[in-house]
Amino acid sequence: MSKESLEHLSGLMDGELSREAGSFLTRRLFSDEAICEKWERYHLIRDCIRQPGSKQLVTGLSIKLSKALDAEGAPTSTASWARAWLKPISGLAIAASVAVVAIMVTAPQAGRSPGEGDTAIASPANQPFVSPNTVGSPVSQAASFGSSQQGNSNRLNAYLLRHNQMARTAGRQGFISFVPIVATATPSSAEATEDITETSVSGPELETAENK
Amino acid sequence: MNALPRKAWLFLILVSINGLATAGDSGQAREWLERMSAAMSQMSYQGTFVYVRDGEVETMRITHVTDDSGIRERLYSVSGPHREVIRDRKGVRCVLRDTASVFEDQVVASSYFPDLPLSVIDNNNVGYRLQTGGQARIAGHTARRVTISPADNFRYGYDFWLEENTGLLLKWKLIDADHQTIAKLMFTDFAIGSAVNMSELESDSQPTDFVEMKTFSQKNTVVTGSHPRWQPARLPPGFQLASHSHTTGDGGIYEHTVYSDGLAAVSVYVEQQGAETAVNPGESKLGTNNAFTRRQGTLQITVIGEVPAVTVKAIANEMARSVAAQ
Repeated sequence: MSKESLEHLSGLMDGELSREAGSFLTRRLFSDEAICEKWERYHLIRDCIRQPGSKQLVTGLSIKLSKALDAEGAPTSTASWARAWLKPISGLAIAASVAVVAIMVTAPQAGRSPGEGDTAIASPANQPFVSPNTVGSPVSQAASFGSSQQGNSNRLNAYLLRHNQMARTAGRQGFISFVPIVATATPSSAEATEDITETSVSGPELETAENK
Repeated sequence: MNALPRKAWLFLILVSINGLATAGDSGQAREWLERMSAAMSQMSYQGTFVYVRDGEVETMRITHVTDDSGIRERLYSVSGPHREVIRDRKGVRCVLRDTASVFEDQVVASSYFPDLPLSVIDNNNVGYRLQTGGQARIAGHTARRVTISPADNFRYGYDFWLEENTGLLLKWKLIDADHQTIAKLMFTDFAIGSAVNMSELESDSQPTDFVEMKTFSQKNTVVTGSHPRWQPARLPPGFQLASHSHTTGDGGIYEHTVYSDGLAAVSVYVEQQGAETAVNPGESKLGTNNAFTRRQGTLQITVIGEVPAVTVKAIANEMARSVAAQ
């Protein structure tokens, strides 16, 4: 392994590597066992310095990672012969169901003129409320960075912390919802400019807004 | 009976078989999710896991203990800057050493957040499909796969691999409507019950070294079942009001509402604009969470949740309409 690779690895650990170089090295971590072992060793050294006796936390990580990633592509199938037998039949039935649904959807409805209330809800593009510029007249206002970045980050983290406490659902079990806080150094702001606006109160769109 | 009715009968039988098979699989998936929900809060577990997002790999350690003292949990980064989240009966404490910050949030009375039955997430109005899959071996344990697929672009789906005997989560994937992986998490070692090393609950962080920021004042905040002052006129399909809290007295305007489809949840914060509350307008990303902030008059509206950017943006725009209308 070259000296340059080792320096990059060290830089990645310290968060000093550029994003592009970091992404490249991360990809190498998945494929290059030697560099993965080195990564593990670096962490082991650092963890031992930081917290003696923490060896078990990272030992064998590269092997475990590589095994786990290998296994990911081929999960053990438990499909029974019955399922295999049913599969073509299910496919046929689904196709038939689709045909029936298609007939129901395309059948004309009495008493309705074409287009009336036909707003589809299948995709965001067809959602009546998904229109980025529907509130008043946008006034361009550039996103601010620099000194306010920390305050921005703090407030968003606070919002997220409260959100995690209030909104426990099946998809956000226990610690999972807190992982992004531990993983994210600072929230990244998108370059959106057209919608980061203060909107006028009396836009024509507002007068036609329907209440649910 | 002539040939045509016979074919019709055969068709109906096949449709019924398919329907029953799908319903059975969906029911099984729901059972697994219920098991996971109970196990994740009621059992003790510990492990190291790898979290992969946007091509970045981070290693973290979780210790979760449930005993007579209630739930105690410590999550911290093993790689990269030291960051940790501690949860116990006092609330949530978040130590971010790289930003020299400590956040504290007291325990929120979330009893108003309804336990939406899992059945609500598996119907045509909401747009998720539940399936069970095969088995895999993860961190030395046999795991069962459960997949929740989103039917539209307003929400994400999940792939769970759950420990066969307990239902504990061993691997997790966040997926979009095209089944592309947004983030994943996988345990590399995992201990359950008495094998948990309790000493790892102790944090070595010294909060006095950091800038401490309490989050929203709990004293003046009440969780209520009443209707919020501002509501989006329209919501993505399946989302409904789940909880609502607001300030009382002279604490300034603060309103927090949560909307959920039973699986995904979105928080909407409406606050008076000010130096402390300021968030850059526009889109932000916190890990897998998207946020969108816009200003309306003297108020700041921020929508945040683990949903696609289009969802938070759409709700923020609808909220701005609602605020402007008053």
